[in-house]
Amino acid sequence: MTAEVIRDILRYTDVTIFVYFIALNSSYLVLIVLAGLEFGRHLRRAPFAGADDMFRSPLTLPVSVIVPAYNEGPGIVAAVTAMTALRYPRYEVVVVDDGSGDDTFERLRAEFDLVEVPRVVPGEVPYHSRVLSVHVARANPETLTVVRKTNGGKADALNVGINLARHPLICMVDADSVLDPDALLSVAKPFGDDPLRVAACGGVVRIANGCKVVGGRVVDVRMPRQWLVRIQVVEYLRAFLMGRTGWSRLGGLVVISGAFGVFRRDLVVEIGGMATDTIGEDAELVVRLHHHLRRRRQDYRVIFVAEPVSWSEAPSSLRVLGRQRRRWHRGIAEILRKHRGMIANPRYGRIGLIALPYYVVFELLAPFVELAALVLLPLGLWVGAVDLAFVWRFVLVAYGYGLLVSLAALFIEEVSFHRYPRWGDLVRGVLAAILENFGYRQILAVWQVRGALGALHGRRAEWGVMHRTGFDTGRESAEPVSVGVDR
Amino acid sequence: MLGLFTVVLEVLAGVVAVTVLAIVGVRVFRKVRQRRRAALAAGPRQALLAFVADNGEHGAQELVAIPDDAWRAAEPGALALLGKLRGEAHLALVSVFLQRGIARTALGDLHSRSRVKRARAAQVLGDLELRQAVPELCRLLTDRHDEVRVVAVRALGRIGDPAAAWRIIASLDRSDPVPSLLATHTLVQLGAEAEVTLSAALDHPQARVRAVCLDALGLLGATGSVHRMARVLREDSYLDVRVAAATNLGKLGTRGALEPLQQALSPSRPAALRAAAARALGELGAPSAVPILADLLGDDEFQVAHEAAHALRRLGPAGAGALADAIESERTQAGAHARPSASASHAQEALALSRVGAEHGERVGAGA
Repeated sequence: MTAEVIRDILRYTDVTIFVYFIALNSSYLVLIVLAGLEFGRHLRRAPFAGADDMFRSPLTLPVSVIVPAYNEGPGIVAAVTAMTALRYPRYEVVVVDDGSGDDTFERLRAEFDLVEVPRVVPGEVPYHSRVLSVHVARANPETLTVVRKTNGGKADALNVGINLARHPLICMVDADSVLDPDALLSVAKPFGDDPLRVAACGGVVRIANGCKVVGGRVVDVRMPRQWLVRIQVVEYLRAFLMGRTGWSRLGGLVVISGAFGVFRRDLVVEIGGMATDTIGEDAELVVRLHHHLRRRRQDYRVIFVAEPVSWSEAPSSLRVLGRQRRRWHRGIAEILRKHRGMIANPRYGRIGLIALPYYVVFELLAPFVELAALVLLPLGLWVGAVDLAFVWRFVLVAYGYGLLVSLAALFIEEVSFHRYPRWGDLVRGVLAAILENFGYRQILAVWQVRGALGALHGRRAEWGVMHRTGFDTGRESAEPVSVGVDR
Repeated sequence: MLGLFTVVLEVLAGVVAVTVLAIVGVRVFRKVRQRRRAALAAGPRQALLAFVADNGEHGAQELVAIPDDAWRAAEPGALALLGKLRGEAHLALVSVFLQRGIARTALGDLHSRSRVKRARAAQVLGDLELRQAVPELCRLLTDRHDEVRVVAVRALGRIGDPAAAWRIIASLDRSDPVPSLLATHTLVQLGAEAEVTLSAALDHPQARVRAVCLDALGLLGATGSVHRMARVLREDSYLDVRVAAATNLGKLGTRGALEPLQQALSPSRPAALRAAAARALGELGAPSAVPILADLLGDDEFQVAHEAAHALRRLGPAGAGALADAIESERTQAGAHARPSASASHAQEALALSRVGAEHGERVGAGA
């Protein structure tokens, strides 16, 4: 009798898990279709979008680009040089050296002839560290500011940067990001098009591994050499490019990557800047912005632009990837816990009723369900709750649907932006979409579960150190970059 | 159940295979189309470059005679070229477009049911700077789609006919107006002839309209409107409008702006307005504002004190002297090792930036 009950429970659980997988992949597919529609809309309008007019207008809103840097010595000069050469009419770059132990500051001082100036830090948003000194470039004091402070973490460094930012828009960029020349223009454009409503705008982050970078610009886009990174390329396309564009179209975007996003400074100051008590401070800021503006019943938009882009180096080892994904999932768990009052709360509109519940069911819980399936399906088979014919069909449909979703993302990319011009890269992309299902997804689920449990138990978050291989600069040996954003 | 699974699997396998084929098909199609277009556009592109290099004196008829499919392939490049050209070459290329009937087609497309077509047509007419299109483009300012209205405003700015000023101003007075910054830029592009209209619109009941007109007048350097702008600074009921008035009075650079800006610094006024007035006094460049700005260094409002310090920096040697005096007087009173007050900190910051700028200027001067 008891054995029969257990068999029934396992049978129903397995069917429930199957339904969950179908729902999960269907939701991805819906987002990808929405992204496809948005890309079509974007491309049809490109000829009259007015980017050149924006570049020429004396009224284009100036931007403060805030670059938190921690032990970025090997790459900081190239990054800042590229950032000071973006195509945008008026902007400043504020580099916040967050107590680096290496020569980050010395390299900047030597390259840009920095000179120390006494600067009053307003304290409009709280920060917990101590500002040691503020420096400006002697040749262009209005364009480049470098702040030295005691170590306080990325969020704290951003808060210091927000305090020192002089312009109405702030753009947060990772120190190892490589921006397309028009990236700032594109991400700031929605603020000019709809200045009363646009509160924040995210830009897409693509993977730079394997690409050729010359003079701080990606000049030749290629698939990375390692399969681990190739799989991440497909993953970024599906989840970041398509997923976030889809959410933007639905009016439910809750994540803007800390690697590239523009915000209205006044609103960020109003809500108290970056939270220092969570590891996912970028997404937390967006959720808090929604919370604030919804409570104020303000008509606003948080949007996402798909091109041009910011390029970042992705982890190429399992160890670093694991740490990154634990951190990301921990961030999601912390944010959802912190803002649980918004979940399923009609007061917060689409964010409360659609986006956040989706994040609970299909982002936070997905790795738990995936792991449950990996355990319960063989168990069900063992106790005779399901037969082998059911199991192999279950696995093929679940992973086959996942593969279809990835291929759909590749198809939309091919129709719209087609950034990978080589036939070989196309084949590698398709193969990576297949390979993703063999081991990668499963180990990802383990890391994500550990990250979520870490948030639950309130364990101290780890940033770790990421050894970077650097970009292909077209020279015989690229300078290896030892430490980067993955702190 | 198993039967259903099998069917689903078969369908899934089919869709996966079709998607892979579609990816390959899209790439093949795009490559073929790109190659064909490149081949078609090669000849016209060369002819266009030769025409432009010749300042448009020779080769117009050859461009007009290019077959339609080849011209369509080269047209995006030709339109981009149009935006970069000035003078005779621009007029000559516009003439080629007109002879090819592009303007006529675009005027017809302004009535298209497709908003993308209407917007594209407006863009082309703006690129051609076609004055005859102004009434039609003004009609588009009430289009039900905002993206079409935005392109129409930009096109009107490029054409630069001051007759469109009122219609652009009117397009701001609706529930979903065109972006203020775009309208301002367009109104500035209409030139000094639009000043009378802009000045009159300072009495418009809609605050957004008044703010846009103030910004446009400031950018145009409309010194004839200084008294009207000063009145808005004194009397307007909206703080944002008064801040815009202060900011733009500073841009005029005329003596008449000094008194109203000084009055706006009164402690009874809101901090945002006082900060804007302090900044505007720096822009104005009037050394007589130095004493009043120096008094503001100790203001309780961070933004007011900060702007006053930087305004003094912009006022040159007189302002730098006042900043140095503020630091020195505090040092004398509180001692050399005392922690600097907020006013001294603001003064130190502005003075340091002033010195950096001066040093750089000297180096550049010496290098030259």
